[in-house]
Amino acid sequence: MQQTFDMTQEKIDRYGDINGDYDIIHYDHDYAVQRGFRGTLAHGPHLSAFTCDLALKKYGADWFRHGRLRTKWIAPVCPGDDLVVELAGDGTITETVNGAPVVVGSATIEKD
Amino acid sequence: MSVMIRPSDVKIREGATPGTPYAAFTVGQKLKPVRFMITPEIVDEYARAVEADLSLYRLDGRPVAPPNVLFVYMTGVVYRTYPPIQGIVMIEADFRWRHPIYADESTEIVASGEIVDKFEKRGRRYIRWRGDFHRADGVLLSSLINTFHVPE
Repeated sequence: MQQTFDMTQEKIDRYGDINGDYDIIHYDHDYAVQRGFRGTLAHGPHLSAFTCDLALKKYGADWFRHGRLRTKWIAPVCPGDDLVVELAGDGTITETVNGAPVVVGSATIEKD
Repeated sequence: MSVMIRPSDVKIREGATPGTPYAAFTVGQKLKPVRFMITPEIVDEYARAVEADLSLYRLDGRPVAPPNVLFVYMTGVVYRTYPPIQGIVMIEADFRWRHPIYADESTEIVASGEIVDKFEKRGRRYIRWRGDFHRADGVLLSSLINTFHVPE
């Protein structure tokens, strides 16, 4: 299962509004570049959320009571990036920009 | 006392205080419990922000929140005990959903947690903490382990 999202500063700002986040690394391009990034950073949890519709389609109602979402944010996603989100049959999550992984993890059902 | 609703109410703003340096985090420290309310309006706003298809989120005929809505309250739990410095970078999160959050009603939540580890790797400093999100009536909604990098 795969879905593509285009990242924009407007989307980062919208997530920042609901996230209640004021860290300037998400909003100040010059500061982000000074920190060594290509530009402002999308919030990691914003990127994780893109996998959840796919997980719900895969697992159905079990997702609400037994779902486990593990995500590791390994590279930045900046405005202008096209983010490809993939959920494999075994629950492996891979999100890429220009073919390079930016988020890895898994979405699984664990009944314990 | 009114219950906090927006994540911005729950969180201590970066830069608003001197913030917490790495050295001040204590492994085993319990985090102050945080009480907040997830309303249908918050669910709608969150769904728009993450481009979720809310038509998928139904259970037993009722609308359900994307369980990942808890992400936006995540750092509030740790930041209310350890106010953040600017430049914190999230590294990973491990969420387990235990019970649905219904989206046709407001749900009062009590979040708690503790610092479970602090470590240095390749010259960078990291904090790991765990949290539990309970409904006000005691039902466990979700558990979390989160790791972030503290710049210095």
